[in-house]
Amino acid sequence: MSNLPFSLYVALRYLKSTRRDALITFLSATAAGGIALGIAALILALAALTGFQAALRGEILARTPQIEVELPPDAEGEAARRSVAQLPGVEGVGLLIRGRGWLLAAGRARPVELVGFDGELPGFFPEASDRAEGLYVGDRLATIWGLGEGDLVEVASTRPTLSPIGPQPRVRRLLVHGIFETGRTEQEARVALPLAEAASLLGRADTRLSITTGGLDEALRLAPQVAAVMPEGAVVKTWRDFNRALLFALRLEKGLMFVAVFLIVVVAAMSLVSDITLILASKLPEVGMLGAMGARPRELQRVFLWLGGSLVAIGTLLGVLVGIGGAWMLDRYQLLSLPSQVYFLDHVPFLVRPTDVFWILLATVLLTFGCSLYAAKKAAAMRPVEALRR
Amino acid sequence: MSVPVEARGLKKTYRDGARRVDVLTGIDLRVEPGEFVSVVGPSGSGKSTLLHLLGALDLPDEGAVEIGGTSLAALDPRELASFRNRTIGFVFQFQELLPDFDAEENVMMPGRIAGLEVSALRHRARDLLAEVGLEERMDHYPNELSGGERQRVALCRALLLEPPLLLADEPTGNLDPKSGDQIFDLMLELQARHGTTAMVVTHNPELARRCGRLLRLESGTLQPESR
Repeated sequence: MSNLPFSLYVALRYLKSTRRDALITFLSATAAGGIALGIAALILALAALTGFQAALRGEILARTPQIEVELPPDAEGEAARRSVAQLPGVEGVGLLIRGRGWLLAAGRARPVELVGFDGELPGFFPEASDRAEGLYVGDRLATIWGLGEGDLVEVASTRPTLSPIGPQPRVRRLLVHGIFETGRTEQEARVALPLAEAASLLGRADTRLSITTGGLDEALRLAPQVAAVMPEGAVVKTWRDFNRALLFALRLEKGLMFVAVFLIVVVAAMSLVSDITLILASKLPEVGMLGAMGARPRELQRVFLWLGGSLVAIGTLLGVLVGIGGAWMLDRYQLLSLPSQVYFLDHVPFLVRPTDVFWILLATVLLTFGCSLYAAKKAAAMRPVEALRR
Repeated sequence: MSVPVEARGLKKTYRDGARRVDVLTGIDLRVEPGEFVSVVGPSGSGKSTLLHLLGALDLPDEGAVEIGGTSLAALDPRELASFRNRTIGFVFQFQELLPDFDAEENVMMPGRIAGLEVSALRHRARDLLAEVGLEERMDHYPNELSGGERQRVALCRALLLEPPLLLADEPTGNLDPKSGDQIFDLMLELQARHGTTAMVVTHNPELARRCGRLLRLESGTLQPESR
């Protein structure tokens, strides 16, 4: 400690001496404790939101194509597929036909989204026991209806066929080939079926390409290149476009939560100003004496900046420890449970992102530095003779 | 080491609302290098104000102060602070020791402000404290020292960097007569030994007469005082 710079040396001694004054001790503890509380609350709140969002994103993105291209009605699907398959970074391209229809079994009917695919079952039908060509239904519907592999079902199209006796529904009888996992967030039942069956039910007007890449970021990077090789009128959508509203809502929610909880830090910073001001008032004759002995105004300012900085450092360290430690414990031992019938998770997940902690610390340090500077400037502005006269 | 101190036409007025108090109305003074000057005067006559102006702690409304040929008016606040640190040692009536630092740390403080090497400062502080008989009290805090001891620590602190000018504002004003006598003797002895230019303001004429030159501050001006 003996070789510390003058301003830090004096500040640390003042910090130690504040313990002798009950009011200053209380204010210092309030300031540091408030900062700790604010940071811990921010880390926990953002970790809970991030945990939820990560689970929700995983849930939704697992059921969304990375890139999907809506081809114009007159486009040649195979030719478009070949063009995309040649692009570096593309790992798989499949033809899709989407449309609406009905699933009928044992006298029951349910509206569903029909997704026709060629080759293997696309990745956005997760957890299927098999991926070979065939009819797949979601596990929730399969459970309710008691469907299993090999059961016979009927798939009807909303698009009728004109016959001599009038419009007739297009219906295909198919065997259930497999079951895929239905997401808790899925509002509408989906049925996957072979492309040829889908074409006979829905026609080929709504033919699409489903493109798989190395990852979500890679998909965003490749989307413009895909658009460049597609025929005119094709619409290229990425996973982000499919979930734009949701992703925006998640970001907005996190931003608003940050602002709301950060108010605790703002209040603590105000408390820091009063604390430093009170310490300055109680040390005024000494500040005057230090000035008389030749301490430059900037050095006196630095003394009180160090003092504020020390309280901020104590509060920040405590807040980070409590926040990260608390988030880890809550997540590791699943201490906050949720009714799984209501939510898609049975506990509140906590996920601490280093970038969130960085932004929390940056905002806290900037705010508290500003507040400390405001109070410290008073020390710098003090003329020694004024302090000595008091 | 010592410096001459010169003040020309110093005026200082304080305003308290509509009230105007002319404290110094025209001070002309020259203190020769190594000289020990005392200034006496009744309470409120402006003795401390004069000392603050000469010690670069305050600025006059009119007039100029030169210390060792340096005009204080030409220095900005940062330069003034450095100038005080290197050139002037202060001793005040109420000691103004820093209560959070022990005697040795208090004495070392001007050197710490100057950024000097700490172990050398510690040696120097210990030598000075031993010189004034406080070798056993170095690690004592101000509230553990008597008034006379505190003033001796303050004197050591003022002399740490061997400033060429020592300014003392009522250094015995808060002490009993015996302790006051001892401190004044010590000041005279140290001033003579270090060859420092010194000025002391006091309301005690007995002590003031023991200095090389005696001045009286009255009605805002300085007059030579007969012994």
